[in-house]
Amino acid sequence: MAAAALKVQLRPGKVGRRGFTRHQIKRVSQSINTSIPTSLSAIAIAIAIAIAIAHPECAASSGLYFRILGDPFLTIPVSILRRAPIRAIATATATSAMDTPALSVEQQIRLLEDARKMVLGDPTFYQQVLQGILPLINPAGRDEPVRPESAKIDLRRWGADFLAETFASPAVPAHQKESLCLTVLEVLKSIIENPNEDGAVVKSIVQTAASIYPLVVRWIINNSYDGPTWERMQAIKSRILRIWDTAPTGVRISCIKFAQRVVMAQTVGPEADPRRGDPMEVSLGMIPPTHQVLHLRNLEAEATGLLDRMLEVFQQPTSDAVLVDATLNTLSILIRSRPQCANRILNVILNFNPLKQANSPMTPKLRVMVKSMEKTTRMLLLHVNKRDPHNPLAPRIQQYVERMMRSRNEIFDEANRKRGPPEPINGLDATKRQKLDAQVPIPRPKFHVPPLAPGPHSIAELFTVTTDEGLKMFDVSQLSEDIVVKIGITILQKINADTLNQAVAGVRMRYDSMKAAQVEQLNPNTAPLGIEAEDDDDDYEPDFYPTEYSEQILNKLDSAPPEVEMMAKAPDMAPGNFILPPPPTMTSDEVAQIGQGTVSRVFGVMQTLEEPGKKSKAGLNRLAASACDRDDWITIITRLATRSVAGLEESDSVKPEAVHTTFSLSNKIRESLYMYVLEDFRKRIDIAVAWLCEEWYNDQVQMKLGEQNVMHYEKWVLKVLDGILPYLDARDKVLTRFLSEIPGLSLEVLARVKAICRDPAMVSLALTSLLYLVMMRPPVREIALDAVEDIWNNYEDAKPIAAKYLTRWRPGFAERLKGAEGEEEKKSEVVAVAAT
Amino acid sequence: MAQTQLQGTNGAAQNGGRVDDDGFKLRFCTVCASNNNRSMESHLRLAAAGYPVISFGTGSLVRLPGASITEPNVYQFNKTSYDTMYKELESKDPRLYRANGILNMLGRNRGVKWGPERWQDWRVGVPRLEHSTDQGSVGVEGGVVDVVITCEERCWDAVVDDLLNRGSPLNRPVHVINVDIKDNHEEALVGGRAILDLADSLSKAAAEERKMNPSAFDSGSGTGRSTFDQRVPEVIAEWQDRWPQLPALWTLAWF
Repeated sequence: MAAAALKVQLRPGKVGRRGFTRHQIKRVSQSINTSIPTSLSAIAIAIAIAIAIAHPECAASSGLYFRILGDPFLTIPVSILRRAPIRAIATATATSAMDTPALSVEQQIRLLEDARKMVLGDPTFYQQVLQGILPLINPAGRDEPVRPESAKIDLRRWGADFLAETFASPAVPAHQKESLCLTVLEVLKSIIENPNEDGAVVKSIVQTAASIYPLVVRWIINNSYDGPTWERMQAIKSRILRIWDTAPTGVRISCIKFAQRVVMAQTVGPEADPRRGDPMEVSLGMIPPTHQVLHLRNLEAEATGLLDRMLEVFQQPTSDAVLVDATLNTLSILIRSRPQCANRILNVILNFNPLKQANSPMTPKLRVMVKSMEKTTRMLLLHVNKRDPHNPLAPRIQQYVERMMRSRNEIFDEANRKRGPPEPINGLDATKRQKLDAQVPIPRPKFHVPPLAPGPHSIAELFTVTTDEGLKMFDVSQLSEDIVVKIGITILQKINADTLNQAVAGVRMRYDSMKAAQVEQLNPNTAPLGIEAEDDDDDYEPDFYPTEYSEQILNKLDSAPPEVEMMAKAPDMAPGNFILPPPPTMTSDEVAQIGQGTVSRVFGVMQTLEEPGKKSKAGLNRLAASACDRDDWITIITRLATRSVAGLEESDSVKPEAVHTTFSLSNKIRESLYMYVLEDFRKRIDIAVAWLCEEWYNDQVQMKLGEQNVMHYEKWVLKVLDGILPYLDARDKVLTRFLSEIPGLSLEVLARVKAICRDPAMVSLALTSLLYLVMMRPPVREIALDAVEDIWNNYEDAKPIAAKYLTRWRPGFAERLKGAEGEEEKKSEVVAVAAT
Repeated sequence: MAQTQLQGTNGAAQNGGRVDDDGFKLRFCTVCASNNNRSMESHLRLAAAGYPVISFGTGSLVRLPGASITEPNVYQFNKTSYDTMYKELESKDPRLYRANGILNMLGRNRGVKWGPERWQDWRVGVPRLEHSTDQGSVGVEGGVVDVVITCEERCWDAVVDDLLNRGSPLNRPVHVINVDIKDNHEEALVGGRAILDLADSLSKAAAEERKMNPSAFDSGSGTGRSTFDQRVPEVIAEWQDRWPQLPALWTLAWF
């Protein structure tokens, strides 16, 4: 069988650069048929002979030997194989895989492995090798002879991995990949659509698809007639997107990567890039708006949706570190090259808390995962800031990173596990050397700061506390900032607080005496003191390695950016007295106007903020207003309104006229909040509740302080209620919610609710709301029931429902009701008796 | 030091080539600052145990301790062989460099591969056929690995940042794990053992996952099926339990 296959493949001109003569083929076939019995060796030897025939000049060995199929006697030099007719090998592998069940899977894989090494050495033969390999992994259209399922899987895994490698390889030029990808699409499609496919195979295939996707888009851009190809790609894509959520994790991460490639290809790049040869640069901008197959708007919408789906991983209540890391690590290129996505991505990440699962006690695995997510998030954000330090989100990113590091340190208590603070490496002072075995506390000498001699002094002299003349000569500015910072931190960590206080007191004394002696006027143009050049070394880790070796330190210094020039030294001077002239006085109209402007600006910020994403459960000890979304801004506004001037207001009762004349910033804000809520009260009812809670809280606090103050809560509750009641419709749940969530309920509020029963359509709503209060808020149960009873008394339409509620909740009501009815019945009975 | 080197080379001789026949092996890459001490110690160990392995340094230059702390011996990555360094230092001050273990280290290294390579210059995915004489080269001809193990958090940072920079063009996942090892010969030996243990644990998990009944990939429920990638954090956690003095850090990144 093998011999037959070989006869076909060794046709003249088909094999090798030189081709074979008919005579040579005849000889090869003969030798195979006659001398070597097993089909396995036949193929191997055929290859060897074919190569030897094609390249007799390469017979000389270079010392590198190529083992064929484990046959110890048959080795041929690799140097020959590199230049050898790959086609022969590829065909042989394919043929052998198909037609020779005698070949074990392991042997087959070795053969394939050899073919792979050939193309790694010379990528020009990929087309042929791929052609040979595709049948191996194609689940469709081939009836495999006797071979156990698991064996086939090894082959398919190998083949799928080979595909992934081929299309990822930077050694294969993009144009070659573009033509290669057209030949594999059909196979990819049938593998990915096979529901029983092995996970490892699918993983490789999804990786392949990720590499291929931009290539296919590019092909379709230039060849719009090729609808079938695009349909195949679409089928592959939709299948991948379907298995994204349900597949095993290994496949899911590849799906994430695939989605990232799709988003890349289907969003607008910064500019139509001149380097069109780069397949990474496929973007929406390259697609002509009139393209027959590719519709810009659809593609863009799909990309938006996929990006959202990718980002969902950050909004789940619990995070799988594998998926989170995989997503974070794909995002850098999107942030960099797709500016219109960058903001959205970064906003989502900035609202992501990688430490949210860090509840003690953590399992070791959770610990690894939480640490990983935190560090990976931080790495990405730092990377973004490093590449573009002036991006608009840079300050927020910086804040986030610092906050994360603090929480991380608290949670993992790294300080205890790390190896202690570093020693000053240049040994400025022997006494600062870390005493590892210092068991006995050394009594600290009193720290004496010698007072300054009279006369002018420099700032340096003011702060020089050492008495050692040699040390005084030392110019600290010669040290690199890195070292200064390290020394500073070390000292601060170790210094005795008492010593420090003494030193500070000493310097303060000097300063006071200097100020007293100060006669010169301060030069107002003087540059401010002590502006540190920003230390933008990425040395953000507060962990140090005290015993590290010199090359480690040097490498650290090495990776630091070039030293920033030290700031110009401040001239010798001491601060004098400077009094800022008082601002011009303003009329109350101006105050009101400017105040109003401030308020509207504060509200203007809200428009620019993102709607909050899914709420993560932050727990009790969260910080208000720390996520920088719209909710947080509301919190800030409500607190501005309620707390900023609390206790400073003039109470109505004391000076009624003052209220009209003074402009109240708080009330302006309240007014604006009220309008803001009413604009869309169904959506903003939680804002109203949050605000009123703040009002209530503040009223309570003020009451506790015992001062007579303006009470705001009641007034604004009624105002909001009056505002929304006219617009309610019968099915609105918003009233129920509002009533049950506001912190205090008064009879006035309930009176308003009763009043809406005038409209028969609203009866049920009012009663339901009240019933809810009866059921869920025991403290107001009685007054709520009173209200229901009142409704029962006054509104005919409400009687049946109200009666039902009262029977259920008001003890004795049923009897009263029965009593009333009973009386009537009695009356009628009497009548009846009289009649008889 | 000398003893370990002996062990290492012996091990390599015994295990050279293909150790086991299941055909699947995780491929590793070890990384330290200068690609001399820590990464090379673990490179040799992993290679001796039959793993495909390559190694790199993340520093800008190869720095070896010199006569004093301010006079390191500095070499270019990718351009200077271990052999050259060995000969140069041997001619400079054989006693010093023998005493501080540098010659010993370089002697070991030149038996492993030609010279130090820089991580940032590594073209991931470009075939490495020309490295076929390196120890551990069998299996990494394709120029990619499954796991990168760094020996210092700074190197981990450099690797992850570099991968973010590259923009993940290969669409290929890679686990990047840091094992914090101090840069001296003794710690490098301990670290090498720890890294081999980690590699064994990861490989075991990977092999188990590959042996699992492979069908039923899409059979509905997502429970009960794990994958190698998913098990990595768990494997690291267990490993950390055994090596508490070497703090580990991990992420899943992309080539």
